[in-house]
Amino acid sequence: MVIADLRALRWTAAAIVTLVALAVAIGVSIGAQERALRQASARAADDFDLLIGAPGSQTQLVMSAIYLQPEALPLVDGRLLNELARDPRVAAVAPLAFGDIARGHPVIGTTLAFASRWGRLQPSEGRLFAREGEAVLGADVTYKLGDKIEPSHAIAGHWPKRGVADAEEASHRHEGHAYVAVGRLPRLGSPFDRAILVSVESVWAVHGLGNGHAGEDAALGPPFDGQRIPGVPALVVKPRAVADAYALRARYRQGGTMAFFPAEVLVGLYRTLGDVGQVLSVASVLNAVLILAAIFLLLVAVTGLRRRRYAVLRALGAPPAYVLLVVWLGMAGLVAAGCLAGLGLGAAATLAVSGLFEAQTGLRLSFALGSAELGQVGLILLLGSLAALIPAALSYRRSITAGLRG
Amino acid sequence: MPASTVSERLASAAQPLHFSGIEVDHRDGDGRPFRVLDIPDFKVPPGALIGLRGPSGSGKTSLLHLAAGFFLPDAGSIRWGDVAVSALPGAARDRWRRETVGFVFQDFHLVPELDVLANITLPASFSGWRQTSDQVARATTLAGRMGLTDLRRRAAVLSRGEQQRVAIARALFNAPALILADEPTASLDPAHAAEVGSLLVEVARESGATLLCASHDPVLLARMQQVAVIGDGPLILKVAA
Repeated sequence: MVIADLRALRWTAAAIVTLVALAVAIGVSIGAQERALRQASARAADDFDLLIGAPGSQTQLVMSAIYLQPEALPLVDGRLLNELARDPRVAAVAPLAFGDIARGHPVIGTTLAFASRWGRLQPSEGRLFAREGEAVLGADVTYKLGDKIEPSHAIAGHWPKRGVADAEEASHRHEGHAYVAVGRLPRLGSPFDRAILVSVESVWAVHGLGNGHAGEDAALGPPFDGQRIPGVPALVVKPRAVADAYALRARYRQGGTMAFFPAEVLVGLYRTLGDVGQVLSVASVLNAVLILAAIFLLLVAVTGLRRRRYAVLRALGAPPAYVLLVVWLGMAGLVAAGCLAGLGLGAAATLAVSGLFEAQTGLRLSFALGSAELGQVGLILLLGSLAALIPAALSYRRSITAGLRG
Repeated sequence: MPASTVSERLASAAQPLHFSGIEVDHRDGDGRPFRVLDIPDFKVPPGALIGLRGPSGSGKTSLLHLAAGFFLPDAGSIRWGDVAVSALPGAARDRWRRETVGFVFQDFHLVPELDVLANITLPASFSGWRQTSDQVARATTLAGRMGLTDLRRRAAVLSRGEQQRVAIARALFNAPALILADEPTASLDPAHAAEVGSLLVEVARESGATLLCASHDPVLLARMQQVAVIGDGPLILKVAA
């Protein structure tokens, strides 16, 4: 009987399923997208406990150091490296020297310790750099092991295409310098997957600043015992304990540097994102309401036809519970089909948008359904199917004879 | 179910049908009320085969609808034995109808998306979603007697005559104690009409049910025990001509 009823609805049924699917898809993809963005961006900042840089925009430092957005940043005194290395509150410290690109990939100068993310990572191919002139590739870098990598000076405002050495890059090449790729890191799901990591000494050398050590063939990494230690845009610090973290932050907020937890900046960003998200949420709620209203109107429109059906069932002696159950099951089936289709549509849309986002920024977003989305879907299911009961219940107010006349 | 058991079961179930003080008013196009039915007293004995004759618009359909409890009169009551049908609340009236009445509509009112078998067994589906083999057997037999063979055809593709016969089979499916038929042979050619008319009377007689049949068909009316004429003075039963 339920199936017969649905077949009688014909195109109306298809319209209901489509409308519900759209409502659900929009709601789901907005929520899922926002969550994915938040989770991925937070994960990317995982290894960056404390950032120290020259005074300026904290947000810019985060965008450059963690998300590798190219910008010209002021430099912090290189001697800070040694000072922090000696500090008992510091478990580990590493410089981040960026500003070069090769085939559109950012070239980042750092220490072995940070390249392996404080010893957490093992290279998936080859090995980490052991000498000046050696490079370790991120998972998505288009070079192969053994390739020669020629760095160019990155220009602020120039957004290179990954894997392509365009004219802008070619015109700023550091002549006579090349790295050799000796290894590749496992996938991080962050913009660092498209970065080429080299020793900070190499970056200094390429820019004619010496290598920060006393001798030519000195071992890589701290201590930097050279006469002159060049500056770097950012220092990543791993504090020993939480209290140390706060102490370090306080200490380096003054005296020509700024220090902060990336989390602070991200929270601010998320708040903005959240505000946008709230506007979008309101929009999607309105959207769902509109669609439910449209469904209700559709049902009212076809109610004339259905009234006769209800009257016939009642004339045959069907109990009201039967009639209402048949109506509810039919609508619930349609709305459920719409919800499933919407979940699929929303997932597809989110994956598509995430893919585009990843291509631009290197940040890998994963799709996850939260309780908020599922709650929305459940609500639409409940309200949609209950809405269908109203015309059916109303038909009981008229006599069967009137209903049969249609 | 063997016919004898059915008639035993229903001999006690068929009750006298009593209309008393019935007044039914409608509003015409200008909103003025006019009387459709005025029946001070009309009794149908249990198990009787009664024909209803009268000009169009005389209220034959309304009378049948009242008997089935499809609507309530503006005044008066309808009793089925001890049960005051017109006094029952909606759901209770629906239940009484489910257990007691088989109605053949002038417009058939089949469910077009269901097939013949599903249409016939529709009343049984109210208490259980799946058709039992018992029900299927009963429906098949009934349909066979109506001359319907392919039970899997959708009601939407049947001819008027076939639809009429499905409607009658559906009305008889639950072996009701009160069979109400509104122009049951109107859409049939004379040969089929004769067949169906005799079947209707046969089944009613077998089960001892009361049959109240509104019709223009003289052949059908001739099969009835008694005929009442509506619209021509007070409603009284006369012997069929």
